[in-house]
Amino acid sequence: MKTLLKIIYSIILRNFLKLIVGVKMDKTDFLKDEDQFIIVANHNSHLDTMSIMASLPSSIVHKVKPVAAKDHFGKTRLSTFLSEKLINSLLIERKRDKENPSNDPICQMIAELDKGNSLIIFPEGTRGKPEVEEPLKAGIAIILQQRPNIKFVPAYMQGMGLAMPKGDSLIIPHSSRLEYGKAQLAKSTQIDAILNQIQENFDQLKQKMEIGESQEKLLLG
Amino acid sequence: MKDLIQNIYSNDLHFVTSIIFAILIFASTLFFIMGKIKPHVDFGELKSRTKSWWVMASIFIAATLLNTTITYVSLGFLSFLAFRELYSLLDFRNSDRRAIFWALVAIPIQYYLAYIQWYGAFIIFIPVVMFLILPVRLVLKGETEGIIKSMSNLQWSLMLTVFGLSHMAYLISLPDVDGFQSGGRGLLLFLVFLTEINDVLQFTWGKLLGRKKIIPKVSPNKTWMGFIGGLCSTVLIGYGLAFLTPLSTPQVLLVSFMIALSGFLGDVVMSAVKRDIGVKDTGSAIPGHGGILDRIDSLSYSAPVFFHIVYYMAY
Repeated sequence: MKTLLKIIYSIILRNFLKLIVGVKMDKTDFLKDEDQFIIVANHNSHLDTMSIMASLPSSIVHKVKPVAAKDHFGKTRLSTFLSEKLINSLLIERKRDKENPSNDPICQMIAELDKGNSLIIFPEGTRGKPEVEEPLKAGIAIILQQRPNIKFVPAYMQGMGLAMPKGDSLIIPHSSRLEYGKAQLAKSTQIDAILNQIQENFDQLKQKMEIGESQEKLLLG
Repeated sequence: MKDLIQNIYSNDLHFVTSIIFAILIFASTLFFIMGKIKPHVDFGELKSRTKSWWVMASIFIAATLLNTTITYVSLGFLSFLAFRELYSLLDFRNSDRRAIFWALVAIPIQYYLAYIQWYGAFIIFIPVVMFLILPVRLVLKGETEGIIKSMSNLQWSLMLTVFGLSHMAYLISLPDVDGFQSGGRGLLLFLVFLTEINDVLQFTWGKLLGRKKIIPKVSPNKTWMGFIGGLCSTVLIGYGLAFLTPLSTPQVLLVSFMIALSGFLGDVVMSAVKRDIGVKDTGSAIPGHGGILDRIDSLSYSAPVFFHIVYYMAY
């Protein structure tokens, strides 16, 4: 399974995304130094998960689980099997179920972290309209609050919502970018403060992409 | 070693290839020494440009000399990269995605038509067939707001990056001419070498002597001295490389002049487009140069111009 995931992500998808779709991926060597982390990313397209997984160092791909909604990726037995084995995802319910921990999304994610695995979480919860940010949901903050020693890594993507928007399964190549921020601990144990910290990181990464562009604009003059 | 030198001298293509690498070695050494002599001057950009030239020249020469199929696939892929870069910048609507898909499908077809040497179809496929099909695909989607912009942007992008560049591939399909050993590969090498050296020379002459700007509103770096200096030196180099073509001396001079002129025009047209979009470069695929389009903007103009002049005069 480990080798299969390496072949799928680090060879096939990495080359497909870079050469055909046109995703420019940030370097991820710094993740090799972290034992465990949660990648927190904005969400516009199915290509988001693919790009993040494909950008990871091939030696840790099998330890990273993208969190996905059961109602979407686990509709049938076949799709559950494919999502869990080929995509390596962790399927969760969208709604909390406090009475039944094995069915509760937060408990499931924490159990996965306690096994030593890393996660990819999209706190917007939905892909939404192409290239539009949605407000962040609290789940990620609850996890970071309960496991304060686990670092999170902000990731920001642009353009993928245009290559493969929600509701369209046709991929039209489109120049896109994936940028990573620094691995960091949550500075607070307050839900709101943690969400703010994540949002600030997103804003910084977004600004970094835009400043790159506007500096080029200045050079034109 | 002796055999190798003999081979290089007896084969025109290998001879020009060696010249290209000699120029690159010269440039790298020059910037290295200049960097040592004048440590306070920053040669970083020139160095990274030269480094990228090494990569581009190696890929181009390998793709051109190895095998005809590889040449077609590589040139088709180059068209794809340039086309993707351009439409990614042009802000298409979500409802244009299906039409863009058909425009992408046109790329392998256009190169296949060049491959099988079907000249009539090759020359009308994008300007006529796709020109008629793409608007219909947009209309079928039913989204009329902004449709004129999408129709024009899509067709223009396709013409510039696919139709224009595919003429490079058709050069290789041209039939053999008696007493002329280099064939279409010689013509392709002549075109690409001259277009790119013209870019470099216009840049160099402009930096050395340039003062009076040609079109400051569009491209502030283009000066009359750069343009004229580049033009004259390109024509001279074209004269020196005449053995790559089946043309007579006056014909070679004319063709070289036209390559230099159209290369300049292609560059300026792309500058104006970038200015409208508000970006300096079309991308960041090639360190020191910008995007793919920044490098091949002049080729997208010079390739069809060169092809049709040669086709008229020698075939």
